Amino acid sequence: MFRKVLVANRGEIAVRVIRACRELGIRTVAVYSEADRDCLHVRLADEAFCIGPPPAGESYLNIPNILSTAEVTGAEAIHPGYGFLAENPHFAEICRDAGIAFIGPSPEAMEAMGNKARAREIAQRAGVPIVPGSPGPVRTVDEALAVADRIGYPLLIKASAGGGGKGMRVVHSREELGRAMATAQREAEAAFGSGEVYLEKYLDEPRHIEVQILADTRGNVVHLGERECSIQRRHQKLLEEAPAPGLSPRLRANLHRAAVRIAQAIRYTSAGTVEFLVDKEENFYFMEMNTRIQVEHPVTEMITGLDLVREQIRIAAGERLSFSQRDVEFRGHAMECRINAEDPAHDFRPSPGTIRGLVLPGGPGIRVDTHVYAGYTIPPYYDSLVAKVIAWGRDRPEAMARMDRALREFEIVGIRTTIPFHRLLLENAFFRRGEVYTNFVQRRMDLSVLSR
Amino acid sequence: MNREGALNVEEIRELVRIVSEADIAELEVETGTLRVAIRKGRGNSGVPVPSVSTPAQAPSETAPELPTPKWIPITAPMVGTFYRAPAPDAPPFVNEGDRVSAGQTVCLIEAMKMFNEIPAEMSGRVVRILVENGAPVEYGQPLMLIEPDTGT
Repeated sequence: MFRKVLVANRGEIAVRVIRACRELGIRTVAVYSEADRDCLHVRLADEAFCIGPPPAGESYLNIPNILSTAEVTGAEAIHPGYGFLAENPHFAEICRDAGIAFIGPSPEAMEAMGNKARAREIAQRAGVPIVPGSPGPVRTVDEALAVADRIGYPLLIKASAGGGGKGMRVVHSREELGRAMATAQREAEAAFGSGEVYLEKYLDEPRHIEVQILADTRGNVVHLGERECSIQRRHQKLLEEAPAPGLSPRLRANLHRAAVRIAQAIRYTSAGTVEFLVDKEENFYFMEMNTRIQVEHPVTEMITGLDLVREQIRIAAGERLSFSQRDVEFRGHAMECRINAEDPAHDFRPSPGTIRGLVLPGGPGIRVDTHVYAGYTIPPYYDSLVAKVIAWGRDRPEAMARMDRALREFEIVGIRTTIPFHRLLLENAFFRRGEVYTNFVQRRMDLSVLSR
Repeated sequence: MNREGALNVEEIRELVRIVSEADIAELEVETGTLRVAIRKGRGNSGVPVPSVSTPAQAPSETAPELPTPKWIPITAPMVGTFYRAPAPDAPPFVNEGDRVSAGQTVCLIEAMKMFNEIPAEMSGRVVRILVENGAPVEYGQPLMLIEPDTGT
């Protein structure tokens, strides 16, 4: 087992990783930018190094400074968290060359799933259904038109190097396709360094359901159930829950099985998430795979009783999974609300500032993952996630009731947060019935009440 | 302080004395009704002279001259290990008291087996070396203090 781990991230996930390390008796090294001197992860870690000025590109993405910190502190492993360098195969490779364990999958697995067009090909070869679309990347408008004739409109042009909702363009008709493709290629080149695009059918109000995977270096792969992540705004998840409500046992089993098959196909190791779209007829399609620990991992932890970050660390240290698929039990229902420093009454505009007062929720079935404290100033350089409130109940109604109670208890003074949005969501009749899908927020919620 | 929180003359005088004697360039004190800002400017003799401004005074016509701090730190531009000499048995690049010219290498920082020469950004005199040879340094950490040549 490692004696010292460097956490190459910030905010709540850095705190999360430090906690897992502490419980394993591992010493921790935090890295921080000049804007994050007062961040909680810096205070909690055993050692802390400043690695650059505020901009992420010069600090949390500064590979030389991060590697150098690992070297001078004698850290044997690096946990990349999520975002930043978590899915950067180049970084994972550099760690490997430097003899530092990367707590995550191999660079090869990252690359396989990082190219979204290639990932679709891999899924297809593994016998997993994919969203109808181009078999691989499309290079010319003629190729695109041929695919479009086959799958019909509306369709999506997606960047191979994109993902997470970025680099997508909807096309409604044949006439739009040529120009949309040129624009999409240009934007993809600018944003991701590659103008490669592929096509997918645009599904009607699909559900976004993902499956958590854990795999060790001995070829053992297990799934830890699925998560429902359809409540999104501009492709950013706002609320996640496990298990996904209203799935037939057959569909649920198919999703789990498909996810394991994909992980096996690329000899995946560590934690990962396979994302699917599920349409109204219960057809499911592979969308993409995230080769990292995810923001919403706590809901899976709550229903399985497992510590995913601890498992990642153990896997990276070469240990075999201490449980088999048979040992995984699912109990109850969990939900997570991502509380952001944004003002839902004003189109969710960012609301950074100093937290002058803070009362965190608690009590039965409530877990809060956060890095903020009273007196903390949220810097404007990074994401706006303030806290994750997770509620567990014996069933979905109990989880919802607890979440509602927790959100009422939660007080933050000094910044605006999305708590009013979440409270509105929890009152929503469709949400309460479990009728969710990816444009739920636009279709089923009237956000104007928040502005009154 | 009196009950309304305004400072009296004695207290302002005391603040000016503190600023004069300490290595402070600027001090601001705010109470309920009064804000006092004290900045060190340079008087005719070249000796730092504290000046006091309160809200009752109009801000001076010329922009208040922010004084140059006496000693300028050379800070680490990267994370790594600090070395004072080009090789283990070689003499150090600089010692305390040495003069340096702008661009002159004053130390090395080794990061991932690559040695980076760190230059002095201005000419002057090395007043203090703050880090021990072979110690790790983080981004922005002050390595040495230079007293810059006047007129630069």
